[in-house]
Amino acid sequence: MSDTALSESATAVPSTPSTAPTIVARGVTKSYGKTRALRGVDLRLEHGEILGLVGHNGAGKSTLMRMLAGIEQPDDGAVDARERRAGAAWNADSAAASGVRMVYQELALCDDLTVAENAALSDPRPTGLWGWRGRAEQRIGTALDTVFPGHGISVLRRTGELAMAERQMVEIARALCTDALSMLILDEPTESLGVDATAQLYAHLRTLTRRGVSVLLISHRMQEVLANSDRIAVMKDGTVVETFAAAATSESELLVAMGGEVRAAGADVTAPRAADLTAERGAIVATVRAASGISFEARAGELIGLAGLAGQGQEQLLNKLWGAGALSRGVTVPRRRAYVPGDRQTSGILPLWSVAENLTISAMRGISRLGIINGRAKRELAAEWIGALKVRGDAATPITALSGGNQQKVLVARAFAADAQMVLLDDPFRGVDVATKNELYALMKAEAAAGRCIVWYSTENSEMAHCDRVYVFRANRLVSELSGESNTEERIIADSFDENTGDQR
Amino acid sequence: MSATLSTAPLTSPDASPRRRRLSWPAWGWSLIGVLAVWALIVVVRPGAPFDPLAQALTLAPFLVLVALGQMLVITLGPGNIDVSVGTIISMASYVSVAVGAAAGPTAGVLAAVGAGIAAAVCSVIAILLLRVPPIIATLATSLIVSSATLLLADASRHSADAGLRAFVNAKILGVPLIALLVLAVTIVVALMLRHTRFGLSIIAVGQSARAAERAGIKVWAITALAYLLCGAFAGLAGGLLAAFISPSTVLGTSYMLDSIAVVVIGGTLISGGRAVAAGAWTGALFFVLLSGLLNLVGWSIGAQNILKGVLVVAVVVVSAAATGTGRSSLARLRDTLQIRNKNKETTHG
Repeated sequence: MSDTALSESATAVPSTPSTAPTIVARGVTKSYGKTRALRGVDLRLEHGEILGLVGHNGAGKSTLMRMLAGIEQPDDGAVDARERRAGAAWNADSAAASGVRMVYQELALCDDLTVAENAALSDPRPTGLWGWRGRAEQRIGTALDTVFPGHGISVLRRTGELAMAERQMVEIARALCTDALSMLILDEPTESLGVDATAQLYAHLRTLTRRGVSVLLISHRMQEVLANSDRIAVMKDGTVVETFAAAATSESELLVAMGGEVRAAGADVTAPRAADLTAERGAIVATVRAASGISFEARAGELIGLAGLAGQGQEQLLNKLWGAGALSRGVTVPRRRAYVPGDRQTSGILPLWSVAENLTISAMRGISRLGIINGRAKRELAAEWIGALKVRGDAATPITALSGGNQQKVLVARAFAADAQMVLLDDPFRGVDVATKNELYALMKAEAAAGRCIVWYSTENSEMAHCDRVYVFRANRLVSELSGESNTEERIIADSFDENTGDQR
Repeated sequence: MSATLSTAPLTSPDASPRRRRLSWPAWGWSLIGVLAVWALIVVVRPGAPFDPLAQALTLAPFLVLVALGQMLVITLGPGNIDVSVGTIISMASYVSVAVGAAAGPTAGVLAAVGAGIAAAVCSVIAILLLRVPPIIATLATSLIVSSATLLLADASRHSADAGLRAFVNAKILGVPLIALLVLAVTIVVALMLRHTRFGLSIIAVGQSARAAERAGIKVWAITALAYLLCGAFAGLAGGLLAAFISPSTVLGTSYMLDSIAVVVIGGTLISGGRAVAAGAWTGALFFVLLSGLLNLVGWSIGAQNILKGVLVVAVVVVSAAATGTGRSSLARLRDTLQIRNKNKETTHG
């Protein structure tokens, strides 16, 4: 029962010559209906290397990853793995048998099972009837301790109770619970992780590659990819356009290869229609006063940031603002509010509906009379926002046919298309590419300038530069309020950790 | 591996835009079922081919009314079901007759609707305030309602108003008036689901209650309204059945399971998020005709119920595969076979 993927002492040097690549894709194509996701991809993952994979949303990264993991079959072309037995097909079973594991961007844990039970579910080794629970607890515990020392996660807790960052750690750790790990595929692994956990993860990836494990790292965070990969493959429109040696390239070179212009904050987004707002600019529209040391106020026309390490009380504040009613004490909010959820799979998209239906559901009040919806107004509203945010596909495209970043655009458009005085954003830009992010930042600024009040929680401190005012959270308390000159990334990080500015826990 | 595979269908080929637009209507299979059973009846008993259809049209409207309400509840999403409709029908039949005798048939039917709503209020309180799972909450409601029915039955000394009796039996050009009225109700419900805030909200809640809540929909209000409407429809059906048949403590018994089966056979997703109002008609006609056929060939009620149960399961499997909205076991089987064939080609070639 030794966990070869984990124990440092294990000398599991593969018997195969280290020159053979772990996996090779040749001319892989894949279409979903009319959408051509991949058009002839060639990719080679060498033994014991970290290969970065970058590209805009919809470039085909996630599709390629599913092909490599054997979960989907290419329409044309082939995937060839070193560990594959001759004659066997490359599918989910044979991939699992050859030690390929994948960590998803959309977290794939069962909320009602414990951490250990989730680990046991994805563990390919035979469980046996008795004692599997104990073994799984021990395995996932060891994995978490090895990769994320000091993680503070109990393996007996239900994963539904964990914070986003903790779930991500569990997702990563359970992929390591396997014998003879040969290839690890990571899709945006650090989007919800804190700074410490990110560093721990990359350090562990290096110990894995020293043992001959190959890692495919998909990320929008260029700096991380540059710092931690051996080579970087750039995808664009369903093909790999270029492969760089990480040491010999730069962020701007990658961005050029991706086809995204390096745009500063002033992306050309105009809000389709001026919001019909009653509150005067500068008037206080929302306040929260709680005994737990929260004193928060928001004015019309402000873009307010909620910063700090993940899970320090920012989500609770957003929930207070969102769920407030006539009976909630200490909270005053405008009557019309909109919310952009961070977890788009479980609390964002309505999966059976088209883009237009998803986009207009929050705006129903504005486009209906006596409860009956004006079909033309609905179509026009959808078309305006699809055009303004350049959503891929048309109004009738099913929402599930869009890539994650485009789905997120629709969810942001949904909130701003509603006639809400206050828009709440719960860290919504995880896994969204740079160009899209810049468009959405510009949209948020324009909407705030038009008189809306926007409250934005983000785990990415650099994003907070776009805000008029930033509240920094630590241990469920508001520890500082930054604006203007003092609103710097360094200051946010300092306040997130510094024990002196606030209470001594 | 099962947990990791679950994300794959999100971008599966089912989701292509073209295919959905050209897809076979969700009620298509049940319409084929209606025609097939009708044809069989004509074969078994030749002569007067339209008789069985006319007969079905007199019975089906009541089932359609109940099924429309049940459809709204089922569309709310996983776990939502109203098992109290059968007992509500029985209770409403007595209410309709008793109030009808005192205050006229219109008041009687309205009182029956009110009784249905009152019963649904019990369910809604249990579901929303006490957080009892809907199947348990409506089961509890049906126990309360059947006790009330027994009390009403003991006190009942009336029979249905002659005017109301004439109304439910009236025909226009051979088509029952009640069928035309229920058809109009069906159209209203179908339009409501597509073009009103309430209708779209029900469908949104059914797809994902969490997402609907974050999109600004008052999930509790929508849930309450759907159950109240379901109770109202059951009450209305009971009030009318009192005149069409006669009040009885077992009048509604068969409607509980039949309404659920009709909704599913009609193409409404049992997991919620897609309602097919037209399917209530094709489903109900299929059921009524099937009962007629089986009576004709001499099947017992028990054997008929077994066949109905098998049919419901078969329809869920087949319709999900045909419309491509849910991934049924049949669709999965097909995918597996395709992959296996392709792998054979690649290894041989």
